[in-house]
Amino acid sequence: MSGPLDIATNKASAALQIAASLLWLPQAALIAVAIGDIANAADSERIGWLALGVLVIGILRAFFESTGSRMAFRTARAAVTTSRNGVVTALAAHSPLDQARPASGRAASVVVEQAEMIVPYLARFEIARMRAVFVPVVIFVSVLTLSWAAAVVLLIAAPLIPIFMALIGWRAQQASEAQLIETGGMNAFLLDRLRGIATIRSLDAVDVTARRLRADAESLRQRTMAVLKIAFLSSAVLELFSALGVAMVAVYVGFHLLGQLGFGTWGAPLSLSEGLFILLLAPAFFEPLRELSSAWHDRAAGRAAREELTRLATTNGPRMLGTGCDVQRTAHVERPAPAVYIKDLSFRYPASETPVFDHFDLSVAPGEHVALLGPSGSGKSTLLALLAGLTTSTSGAIAIGGYPLTDESAAALRESIAWIGQRPHVFAGTLASNITLGRSSDPENVASALHFARLDEIAKVRGLTTVGENGIGLSGGEALRLALARIAASANVALILGDEPTAHLDAVTAQEITDNLLTLARNKTLIVATHDLRLAARMDRIVDFRHLRLEKAA
Amino acid sequence: MSRTFDDLKPVLELFWRGPRRKLLLGMLISAATILSGIALLGLSGWFITATAIAGMSAATALAFDVFSPSAGIRFFALARTASRYGERLITHDATLGTLAELRERLFRGSSERRAAEELRMRPAKLLFRITQDVDALDSLYLRVLVPLGAAFAAALAIGIALGLLHPIVGIAAGAFLIATGLAVPLLAAHAAERPARRRAHALEVLRSRVIDLVSGQTELVMAGRLTAQCRKIADADRKLADADDRLNLVETGVAAAFGIANAVLIAAMLLVVTALAKSGDISAPVASFAVLIVVAALEPFAALRRGAIELGRTRLAARRIGPRLSIETSPQRSDPPNGIAVSLDRVSVRHEHAPQSLLRGLSLSLRSGERLALIGESGAGKSTLLGVIAGEIPIENGSIKSVPGTLLTQRTELFADSLRDNLRLADPNADDSEISQALTAAGLGAYIAGQPNGLDTRLGEGGLGLSGGEARRLALARLFLRDTPLWLLDEPTEGLDGATARDVIGRLKANANGRTLVIATHIQREAEIADRLLIMKRGHVVASPRRGEAAFETALAALRQD
Repeated sequence: MSGPLDIATNKASAALQIAASLLWLPQAALIAVAIGDIANAADSERIGWLALGVLVIGILRAFFESTGSRMAFRTARAAVTTSRNGVVTALAAHSPLDQARPASGRAASVVVEQAEMIVPYLARFEIARMRAVFVPVVIFVSVLTLSWAAAVVLLIAAPLIPIFMALIGWRAQQASEAQLIETGGMNAFLLDRLRGIATIRSLDAVDVTARRLRADAESLRQRTMAVLKIAFLSSAVLELFSALGVAMVAVYVGFHLLGQLGFGTWGAPLSLSEGLFILLLAPAFFEPLRELSSAWHDRAAGRAAREELTRLATTNGPRMLGTGCDVQRTAHVERPAPAVYIKDLSFRYPASETPVFDHFDLSVAPGEHVALLGPSGSGKSTLLALLAGLTTSTSGAIAIGGYPLTDESAAALRESIAWIGQRPHVFAGTLASNITLGRSSDPENVASALHFARLDEIAKVRGLTTVGENGIGLSGGEALRLALARIAASANVALILGDEPTAHLDAVTAQEITDNLLTLARNKTLIVATHDLRLAARMDRIVDFRHLRLEKAA
Repeated sequence: MSRTFDDLKPVLELFWRGPRRKLLLGMLISAATILSGIALLGLSGWFITATAIAGMSAATALAFDVFSPSAGIRFFALARTASRYGERLITHDATLGTLAELRERLFRGSSERRAAEELRMRPAKLLFRITQDVDALDSLYLRVLVPLGAAFAAALAIGIALGLLHPIVGIAAGAFLIATGLAVPLLAAHAAERPARRRAHALEVLRSRVIDLVSGQTELVMAGRLTAQCRKIADADRKLADADDRLNLVETGVAAAFGIANAVLIAAMLLVVTALAKSGDISAPVASFAVLIVVAALEPFAALRRGAIELGRTRLAARRIGPRLSIETSPQRSDPPNGIAVSLDRVSVRHEHAPQSLLRGLSLSLRSGERLALIGESGAGKSTLLGVIAGEIPIENGSIKSVPGTLLTQRTELFADSLRDNLRLADPNADDSEISQALTAAGLGAYIAGQPNGLDTRLGEGGLGLSGGEARRLALARLFLRDTPLWLLDEPTEGLDGATARDVIGRLKANANGRTLVIATHIQREAEIADRLLIMKRGHVVASPRRGEAAFETALAALRQD
């Protein structure tokens, strides 16, 4: 995971951009010579050529700079894509039963927003860092060849670059963290209150809350400014050194040219052009350091993002079976209801000492309807998840329709298994796309499935065009109807697994969902985990999990 | 351009009415920083050239006044440092000021009924957008307004300084600076407009697909669509990368254009000063000054680069946030006649874009002190009716009169704040003893006694840190602090275990003190406290039996019991 991100800083792009910075040397030399010529009232034709040279080198610099930064950007972008894909693959295979699996909101903010922070980190900060290492050294050496005194001035102004950089980084990081906390805090307050806007409105507390928001923002502002006053001192120090460096070089060169400071060169005194050349290089000596300091906050955000992405990509939680590839559903095949055999099944959560099952056996006949009855935490939902291959058992065997459930067979077996959970997820999109989930399917089939679950009627009343993350939220009952419609639309289903489908419903809706589920389960095998006695009573057989456990204990 | 201004207008107005002084000061001091830097280099160039010429003979060298120019150089060096520090402080202070202004106004705007309703309908999308949008607007001042003001001031100052040497040179240089300095960012803003919007859109799509992958993982794997979803995510990432690549191309283009323009300006200035020096209009030191001040003349415009690239995003944000910044006045409700708490006359409610109504011609009259339970399957319109009575949901037809009411929402809504401030939302004037009384009445007396920080105990976001039962009781305590004659309760004990639920209902009953109650419910224990049931089906009232009637008992018996 960390591989592609580490090597992502493209050497060639850095070289190009450093070269662009260094092209200022010949450009400055031409400018200095031209001004020297003006002072000497020299031939103006030569100045014309010098001006042309300045222009040509300027164009070349712009070309190097833009080519280099484009390359750096592309590499950084590709690194983000690679690490994003890595995280997505890891998330996809991570068992939904694992408590340590990240919540969708957190996963989304890491994979989406945070990952984007890597681009400026790699494309901007890393390049700025290399520039800050190379460019000042080359400029220092160039100045040194003309005047050791001016070089010493630069050296004094930038005492020791690494110490300087550490100082900048340390303070700049504090500053950017303070700002992050500031805006983050304000946004969190705003979102927290907007989430409960119905209550705030109902309590007539809009004005109170708005004034509170303002007061909080005001006090946060004051606290942040107190931090920034000190944090910005570091950039002021950098600024001061660079401005004084330029000023001292100018004053030294001026006094030297005037003949009042005779020392500082390697023999002959400086000419006007040499003096101007040194002056023009002085700001360029400090420029990379200033650039680095302004790119510093990219570093903190980029590194944090990289850590988070790596953490998400390398979790060692339990995995689902058969996530390697999707099995494309074969054309409509009626399948016979399968028998389900569970033999010697044991399962234990990684963090837990006590197993959920210990050598558990169960066999369900083809077409049989079985209720797994028990309170929450008794393991009935875990058993269903094991049957669907949503997690891996510790030991034991499961066979569906005579085929053992393994990592290899899971995807193919799921073709004939349908799942209905207690809180079905509603995907961003239309109701129809929630039924098909992107599979090719007959629109008429989808329409009749929606009608079966009475969703067409609800859609009319609620004006449901888009639902899910970006659309209108569905109630618990509506989401279950959606799950039922999904089963109704897929002809291949021969085994239905229901995980407390009526747990959060009112009596009338629960009754209707139960009726619909049983209609769908006709001639199919049905296994339902529930603590709803009315639902359990309508099954062929009840496996009492409490009883089962007691038996085990005895 | 004018459309951009129209979109940004509400935000700019907000800034203008708010911390205007600080904003302007920030721009001025930013210009001062740039100008001191330019002056430092220009004066140094003049000084070096002048000393070189003076140094040619001993007499002129002795007569040369070195002190004023070197003092000037030191002055600009220190001035740049000081103004840079001041600039950073003042612009950040101003930005934080605009942040506060923007968020307060956004909150007030979003609390208006229409906006609040929209928020209730599409919470995930809108909350995410609001965060992204306010962040995009935050950069308007620092990335657009400050560099724009500073760059103009710099162009003006350079034009005037060069104009003193020769009027034509000053005008030409100033015009060139403003023309390129503006044309390039404007072109860039135009070119970046669509990719910036595409990028924002791609981020939203990517986000919702990742959420679908994680939350809908079971559904996806059971449908054999897990890797297909991963591919969809990779697809969205590609679109995002494409849009970002376009933006980077434009940004790089701007940098290159400024680099070339700078080279053109220096080369041209060299030729101009050569000619002027030759004709004797200016001296060599002045020529040196002129060339050196244009070396860094385009730097302030280059600072507009990011602002120009992000302008499309900023505009999108302003367009979406803008309407939320204005505050509409809510319609006044008329009071019902004496002795009546709620009176609805043939009320219909319909969602936007929905072909069918949610409530159809519903009439209802509720006496003061009456307790009504709304029952019916989910989707029958119970919550809608509560929302209508609370004034949260607009009606399509009919009329409604109601005494002031307080709605206890179905989902417990608590806030990241102290317990005290969570409760004081209901009554800002409540003192600690009243708050403790309300907490005890709601059954949280023991809980509070067990908290080392008492009422100062802080809750996490959305009331994090409390169990479901505690959270509900806290919402109940908050309700008890509200002295309105009408309480509207949406499934008050949903999700609580039987014992807790019965206790909560008992406390509700005990504290209602003759208030009118309307309870939306599908649980027997909640409906039992009612004097009358309103049985609803698909937006209609099917029956409305009173306690003592046979239908009342039958309907009650059909409800879920725990």
